[in-house]
Amino acid sequence: MVNLLLNENMKIYRRLRSWMFVIGLVLTVIGFLIAQQYSVKPFQIANADWTLNMQKQIDNDKQMLANMDRGADWKAHVTNRINVNQYHLDRHIPPTEDTMWGNVLQAADLIIVVTVLTVIIAGDSVAGEFTDGTIKLLLIRPVSRSKILLSKYISAMGFALLLLIVLFASAFLVSGIMHGFHDLGVPYVYASSDGAVHETNIIQHSICTYLFQAVQMVMVVTLAFMISVLTRSSSISIALSVGIMFAGTSIVGFLAQFNWAKYYLFENTDLTQYLAGSPNIPGMTMTFSIAVIIVYFIIFNVFSWTVFTKKDVTA
Amino acid sequence: MTAPILKINNLTKRIGNKLIIDRLNFEVPRGEIFGFLGPNGAGKTTTIRMMVGLMSITEGDILIDGESITYHFDKAIVKVGAIVENPEMYKYLSGYRNLIHFARMVPGVTKDRIDDVIRLVGLENRIHDKVRTYSLGMRQRLGVAQALLHRPSVLILDEPTNGLDPAGIRELRDYLYKLTREEGIAVIVSSHLLSEMELMCDRVAVIQQGKLVTVQTIKEFMSEGTHGSVVFDVDNPDMALQILTEDPSVQARLTEKGLECSLDKEQVAVANGRLIRGGVKVYEINRCSPTLEDKFLKITGGQSIG
Repeated sequence: MVNLLLNENMKIYRRLRSWMFVIGLVLTVIGFLIAQQYSVKPFQIANADWTLNMQKQIDNDKQMLANMDRGADWKAHVTNRINVNQYHLDRHIPPTEDTMWGNVLQAADLIIVVTVLTVIIAGDSVAGEFTDGTIKLLLIRPVSRSKILLSKYISAMGFALLLLIVLFASAFLVSGIMHGFHDLGVPYVYASSDGAVHETNIIQHSICTYLFQAVQMVMVVTLAFMISVLTRSSSISIALSVGIMFAGTSIVGFLAQFNWAKYYLFENTDLTQYLAGSPNIPGMTMTFSIAVIIVYFIIFNVFSWTVFTKKDVTA
Repeated sequence: MTAPILKINNLTKRIGNKLIIDRLNFEVPRGEIFGFLGPNGAGKTTTIRMMVGLMSITEGDILIDGESITYHFDKAIVKVGAIVENPEMYKYLSGYRNLIHFARMVPGVTKDRIDDVIRLVGLENRIHDKVRTYSLGMRQRLGVAQALLHRPSVLILDEPTNGLDPAGIRELRDYLYKLTREEGIAVIVSSHLLSEMELMCDRVAVIQQGKLVTVQTIKEFMSEGTHGSVVFDVDNPDMALQILTEDPSVQARLTEKGLECSLDKEQVAVANGRLIRGGVKVYEINRCSPTLEDKFLKITGGQSIG
């Protein structure tokens, strides 16, 4: 198995294309963060002290609470915001968005780029062997097809992990260079669902955010892998799984009105909905979503495995 | 004779309702070069794919050194080296890394062994270049190299002479000969170049529409039914034709090669005597043995060969 992993990794990392992806990702991070830096943010006066902005926001929120009523959820949400901001002011903790970590958290949105790049590698790792005919030399060795498929899956996930680390590291460095590294140890302040304000280690919070976002990536890559095994075509598997990801996530909001949609994969893949305390569909819980995700995960992999180990090779 | 290294029992492949391979039976002993002939679509490639486990077997079995390719795939396949159709390698890797790749998948292939095999196929100078830059002949050599890495007992080569120049073909032939005679491995080749098969193989099997037509030694295959035609090279063919056809049992006709007739050994001597007595100068008498090509076309009913 170790040798198979060495082989699959060799086929990924001894190929110029993979390194172009890594470089492309770094360039995307730089471009993204520069664009973020120069975009105008609401409630913010240029170069103003953050305490002024925050005080202004608190005043705003208090006024809103006094003049409007949009239900209990909304009330709790705004109250929490006031409490968190007050906490920042009282302990003199700058808001995360104003530190370098704000950009690192923003860059977590770029996991979608990591997903697309990994889908290309994963889709090609199975289908490419069929297109090039190398599968015939690969499968006539004293190694089971299951192990070959597993080694391909693991190394594709390994590449995804590498890209995640590159994304995090380059986001960290680029934001550090733009903001300075002085507020490195500032804690992250948040309100839990009972309304209490907590502070936590910002590094831990950032890594959690990345990992939560990576759940969807793992599912899309697994889907791409399955399509790749079923169709034996790199282009179809790449196009189809990226298409499904974009289309699938964009109808999440629309489907949320139907109760059955809670079994729909993409209603569940965004676990950050539970951090914010407002699930897409009422009644969904973190445990429920994880269970749904695991069921999909098993279905995808059983499909890939069955077809890959049983089907005749005619490439 | 020792037990056959490859044994095919009642091999059948059905895809849907279509019978692709119909109850093939043959054996290949150690040390033999075995040719596999058949027109396009006869089922050669399907049979080879079943031998190496790329396709499942509907009925029957394939035993390699006594191990079933279906039930003990690992034990059986470790004794097989193969190129199925074209020798497709990872183009973005060097030849050397391709060999490392395949060496890692079989236990016991050392670095020295890889170097030996590279020397054997004569790729020392280019082995660290990317396969993308290789000519078809070089890819073919690399294909042979990966098939030999783990010292297989059976070597299966699909169209091995494709893309090789005449010198390369000769070299491959000599090399295969050496492998079979010295190391006792069996080689199974399929080829559409029948003249190649004629020079290379000890025995041939012909299949057509999934059925085995014949398995014969190349000598039997070539000599069977050759009491056919004899060509006389003479100074006056017209007169010779007249003299010979005086005997109504003799079938003779003029062709571009000379005077051609169907005669057995004794009849040739008699006919020659009559020609000389009749004043015809006989320069040469040749028996034309049909080429494998002729034989093949006869057996398969003139279908195109693949």
